Amino acid sequence: MEYKYIGKSYIRPDAISKVTGKAIYLDDIRLPGMLHAAILHPEYAHAKIINIDTSQAELMPGVVKVVTGKNCNFHYGDNIKDLIPIAVDRVRHIGEPVAAVVADTVQNAQKAVEKIRVVYEPLPVYVDARDAIKKDSTLIHEENGDYWHLPTLNPQPGTNVANLYQLKKGKGSGGFEDADVVIEEEFLYPLGSCAAIETHGSIVWFKEDNTIEAWSSSICPFIIRDDLAHSYGIPVSQVRVHIPEIGGCFGYKSDITVEQTIAYIASFVPGYPVKWVASRAEDFTSTLLGHGIRTKMKIGAKKNGKLVAIKAEILHSGGAYADTSVNVTIAATHNCTGPYEFEHCDLTGLTVYTNTPPVGAFRGYGHQESQFATERMMELLARKLGMDSFTLREMNYLSEGKVNSLGETMWKLNGDIKACSDKVKDSVFSKDKLNEDENYFYGRGFAAVMKSPKGAPFSTKGCYIKMNIDGSVNINMGGAEVGQGLRTIVAQIAGEALKIAPEKIRVYTELDTQFSPYEWQTIGSMFTTQGGRAIIRAADKLILILKQTAAQVLKTDVDFLDYDGEFVFLKNDPSVRVSIEEIARGYITSDGITIGEVAQSVSDARLPRYSNPDKNGQGSMGVEYTFGAQAAEIRIEKKTGKIFVDHFTSVFDVGQVINPLQIRGSVLGGVTISVGATLYEKVEFDTEGKILNPQFFQYHIPTNKEAPKQTIEFIENPGSVGPFGARGIGEHPVIGPAPAILNAIYDAVGVDFFEIPVTPEKMKKALLEKQ
Amino acid sequence: MVEKISFSINGQPREVEVDPEMMLIDVIREVLSLTGTKHGCDNATCGTCTVILNGKAVKSCNTPVKKASNGTLLTIEGLAKGKELHPIQKSIAESGAIQCGFCTPGIVMELYGLLESKPEASETEINNALNKHLCRCTGYEPIQDGALMAQKIIINRKNY
Ligand code: FES
Ligand code: FES
Repeated sequence: MEYKYIGKSYIRPDAISKVTGKAIYLDDIRLPGMLHAAILHPEYAHAKIINIDTSQAELMPGVVKVVTGKNCNFHYGDNIKDLIPIAVDRVRHIGEPVAAVVADTVQNAQKAVEKIRVVYEPLPVYVDARDAIKKDSTLIHEENGDYWHLPTLNPQPGTNVANLYQLKKGKGSGGFEDADVVIEEEFLYPLGSCAAIETHGSIVWFKEDNTIEAWSSSICPFIIRDDLAHSYGIPVSQVRVHIPEIGGCFGYKSDITVEQTIAYIASFVPGYPVKWVASRAEDFTSTLLGHGIRTKMKIGAKKNGKLVAIKAEILHSGGAYADTSVNVTIAATHNCTGPYEFEHCDLTGLTVYTNTPPVGAFRGYGHQESQFATERMMELLARKLGMDSFTLREMNYLSEGKVNSLGETMWKLNGDIKACSDKVKDSVFSKDKLNEDENYFYGRGFAAVMKSPKGAPFSTKGCYIKMNIDGSVNINMGGAEVGQGLRTIVAQIAGEALKIAPEKIRVYTELDTQFSPYEWQTIGSMFTTQGGRAIIRAADKLILILKQTAAQVLKTDVDFLDYDGEFVFLKNDPSVRVSIEEIARGYITSDGITIGEVAQSVSDARLPRYSNPDKNGQGSMGVEYTFGAQAAEIRIEKKTGKIFVDHFTSVFDVGQVINPLQIRGSVLGGVTISVGATLYEKVEFDTEGKILNPQFFQYHIPTNKEAPKQTIEFIENPGSVGPFGARGIGEHPVIGPAPAILNAIYDAVGVDFFEIPVTPEKMKKALLEKQ
Repeated sequence: MVEKISFSINGQPREVEVDPEMMLIDVIREVLSLTGTKHGCDNATCGTCTVILNGKAVKSCNTPVKKASNGTLLTIEGLAKGKELHPIQKSIAESGAIQCGFCTPGIVMELYGLLESKPEASETEINNALNKHLCRCTGYEPIQDGALMAQKIIINRKNY
């Protein structure tokens, strides 16, 4: 389909402010009377607090207040209210806030915080879920089961299991009776950090008029607003949350995290805004981590390659608080099938309390972790069956008419996985494989992927449009811009829907819960689909208002009128018309009487018929899927074991490309993040729960020279939910790299890895063992 | 102990009274309130704090302010002439090199340090310069594209 503004590369509206250094991020905000907080973290990852002595700290220069959690008596959270803003009588992870100092400068606050003395009584530390779920393990939360939680969650009191999710499709494990071949393996996607270049931070201001004003580098102002209001017993309307520019998110700035801690600290100095920005080390230890998922997977197939049954146990080391990890586990569990149909599924997801920083969203939200297993398993199964792995996959793709684990039928509208796979096969695997030479082994590996959002019943996105007297338009929405480029997308979709050039559309900049339309949170690769639908709905309403006014002016009925972005005119005689400028504020007749409504409208959109799981753990819980295929071409240096990803190919069926430059950017960045996870990144803990590498020189993320060259293509089978058929793509590129690279390693040297990152040491060792 | 230190920054003379060991980034951000220069790490690894000191790109997070004494500083705010962007800014804005934008000021200043002193820099030199910076969003390709686009404009400009 031909569009005027969709499918073209507009430059992002925030490019100029960002490239001139004028874009305001959280740490750039200065407020009158602002004070600064420094936070004390524990020496132990799990311990009882026996005593806190703040007397020395109170005497330090510049100190306004020293805060402890002694009288803190509330829990918070969106899914399970197991979080506390500051430790009360126990610490559960190494980054937990134990006490804080509020001072005139950051430096003074930091110097004073070092003077706080704490006596602890250490408790056993569990970094790995396998240890935390042992029968005699110490309970990290004795209250497990007593905390308020969403009715769909299933905590296991008396254990460290914060949630147990089970899904049964068909005969469940009984399905293996029908299988000729069964394979079983275990995979690990270890703890990582989203590691945005901007660390997380917040400013909170308790005002004398009993309102709260907050700023955060977060993507969920409305959750922060609602949660703070609940904790401090004031109406939601009295909390105002601002979101400035955000320097990258990738998951860990979603949900409510550091905001409650800073609010608690600020509540002791009413009248003063209090700022806290994480150091890089604190960004690792005291915000959210990601991944930490161990997948045990068993797959059964017929001799001819037809998949019949899957059993998976997703063991998620969820960290010290499970509010942010439970839904990651659930998504990892029901979508662990990857893009394949299994008649019988027995899937279990366990979110386990451990003594690491809480684990939360990481771009991909459970999908790259469990589909890492699936896509490795496809290769192992093909080998066992003596089949070509493409043939195996093609027989089982979740294509039109197939039913996924949740019981949702796939339609043509969900996109064409086979077409994606064919394209990748053609471009990467049709040429001859490079032969080993003196210095290198060469290999190629493939992965097919799928992802749905992990929504919520109320996960809506709002849109407000107002048309001005010159026909230009302002749009206000609640979607957080983290770099993904949603402002450009808003302008293009609104332009198309309103038939107005994007240059005449001014898209909102900062978010402010006092003015922004309601949005749940900007997650799940849902903004373009849901937000775009909201724009179209609001645009339709606005055009109707224009037509209603024009009908009075032109003395006719609305259905006889049409609209072209400049005029409303009679369909059968376009010369009978009235311009937008004349009716945008209502029409002023010659005697000064004004008729008609102001051209402004509000709307929202959520996923159609998203539902809670039924007793089998199934239901309409995915709704929107994007499928794709990816492949890695790698080189392994014989001398060092170093792996180079020379080329990476991705093809996704996105329904409709809105902005070619930006969508390519999404894939480029997403692939690079997962190349990092596959080859370098892992948050390392010692047995006492201390993080050993909380700095960029220790936790290596990909640099310019390590980023692969990429081939990126899109297939466009339009969907039915998103605007003009567009589907989500923000997270999907992160799913394929780990299995594709590990499949390529096998292709190169015949060694199977089941864990990432595959560091040069591990590769070298494997090469030596093989000889 | 506090000392008077003078320098020019973005073409304007300034005198600050600070501890000479104070890091340049803190003077730029906290004393002079030029917040375009960003802080992304604790140990001089990310490159977001890069500014130009006496014509060279330096990390302001590990440069004590005394080194700027009587020197010339340029930060991201000083690059555009009024509304006219520097070619590097223009190219970076157009090539898709900006997503969250947090790494952008540092990268722009790094490229300024390289291309203004050596417009004919090789692609390897450009890639080496970019390798000093971390970007979590873009996968770097659009930044390389932007750098090469900028280089062309700068070479053409110098040829006039
Ligand atoms: S702030 Fe990271 S290098 Fe200076
Ligand atoms: S654009 Fe976000 S870190 Fe580079």
